[in-house]
Amino acid sequence: MIRALRAELHKAVTLPATLVGCGVMVLSMVALTVLNALSARGDDAADSAFDVAFYGAPLGVVGSVVVAVVLVGSEYTANSPDAGGGRQIPTTLIAIGSRTRLLVAKAVAMVVVVVPSAAIAIGVCLGVATALLGDSAGPPVAFDEGLRRAGAVVVYWLLISIMALAVTVLTRNGVIPLVFFIVNSAVLPPSFLLSRVTDLAFWLPDTSGFRLLSYGIGQSIDDAQLAMVPGTLVMTAWALGLLAVAGIVMNRRDA
Amino acid sequence: MLQIEHLVKRHGARTVLDRVDLEARPGRVTAFLGPNGAGKSSTLRVLLGLDRPDGGRALVAGRPYRELADPARVIGAMLDGSGAHRSRRARHHLAWIARAGGIDPRRVDEVLEQVGLADAARTRVGRFSLGMGQRLGLAAALLGEPEALVLDEPVNGLDPEGIRWIRGLLRGHADDGGTVLLSSHLMSEVAGIADDLVVIAGGRVVASGPIADVTRGYENLEDAFFALTGGSEGMR
Repeated sequence: MIRALRAELHKAVTLPATLVGCGVMVLSMVALTVLNALSARGDDAADSAFDVAFYGAPLGVVGSVVVAVVLVGSEYTANSPDAGGGRQIPTTLIAIGSRTRLLVAKAVAMVVVVVPSAAIAIGVCLGVATALLGDSAGPPVAFDEGLRRAGAVVVYWLLISIMALAVTVLTRNGVIPLVFFIVNSAVLPPSFLLSRVTDLAFWLPDTSGFRLLSYGIGQSIDDAQLAMVPGTLVMTAWALGLLAVAGIVMNRRDA
Repeated sequence: MLQIEHLVKRHGARTVLDRVDLEARPGRVTAFLGPNGAGKSSTLRVLLGLDRPDGGRALVAGRPYRELADPARVIGAMLDGSGAHRSRRARHHLAWIARAGGIDPRRVDEVLEQVGLADAARTRVGRFSLGMGQRLGLAAALLGEPEALVLDEPVNGLDPEGIRWIRGLLRGHADDGGTVLLSSHLMSEVAGIADDLVVIAGGRVVASGPIADVTRGYENLEDAFFALTGGSEGMR
């Protein structure tokens, strides 16, 4: 397992698209923080720098989804015909025989890449918000509370990204999951619209963890959403369940 | 070392492999010869655990590929050219394979040197020519210093010097006691190097054995090949 993880980590950091995903995470969050901080500057009732920095937190999931999708999608990208065509997936499966080990290694590699990128993104956003708000910033958030809120947001990103990784295994192509998960995360989730109709929608893969997100950004999305602990457990079950389905499918189908 | 028994593979209603038997032994170069679409790659994919057979079995050192504890040291394989992602540098591609196989990272530079890609170590694979891609695929196969080499159409895209080089390499591997199984649709590629032949056509093995036995009664390997495969209409 350690060998597979070392191999997948090395693959992740030597693929330019992974760095693009990390860059998207940092830049999109910082850009939104700049906009939010500029509009809040001079406001007597402005929020704390932490709150302003975290308004952009839901957008950070886009970067982590990109990382998750490219880690799997890159396996199925065909090489140019001039270089003999072919894809990387046979090499991967020959090198790491067990499909289960491969998927677990990919998921862990994704987490290892995303967590430091998230830490950098959040740190830069806090710095930018603090600098731009200046004296108009509201009372600061306590360190331990800030850490818990940041942790909640990052756990949400990681669980969504594990789902994106599993779906990419099923589609064997990065485009569809990339479009779906970005639209779902950054624009408007269909499951959220469904939750306007029935509270059962709060048990769906993404909405079940909404409390993580609303706790992180300090704003309630909907009172009917699942509480933090059960919601996180339901979302984790969805993510691991999808990964298990991906593993079973990968084990059974031809490469 | 490599043993395939009564292998059957179907794609829907189409039978791609029909009770294929093949054996590749240590110290010998076994050529797996057949026209395009005859079932060579399908056989090798099952042997390497990539595809599941619908019948029969394929064993590497007595075990199915997926059950090998340390596959990189037992078998080195090359399918579909480089088998690398186009935006990764050649050295990085070999480095992750080395990590997956628990192989000393110093082997990466050694095999790059061995296949003549030392100067292209930092080049992204997407910029490689067909021949360079083949050499990188071969470097990956050699990385773990395996007992057996399984190569699908290894000379595709190689220049005459490259073909001569790969022949020497494979002959040397077999002479050192290793097992070599290479597939090809070109007789001229295997004529000077193979000890044993397995000829496949339309998913069925039509002849196998030492090259002298298979070609007995024919003018040369080319005549034998067309006589043995001539009735085939490709895959059924």
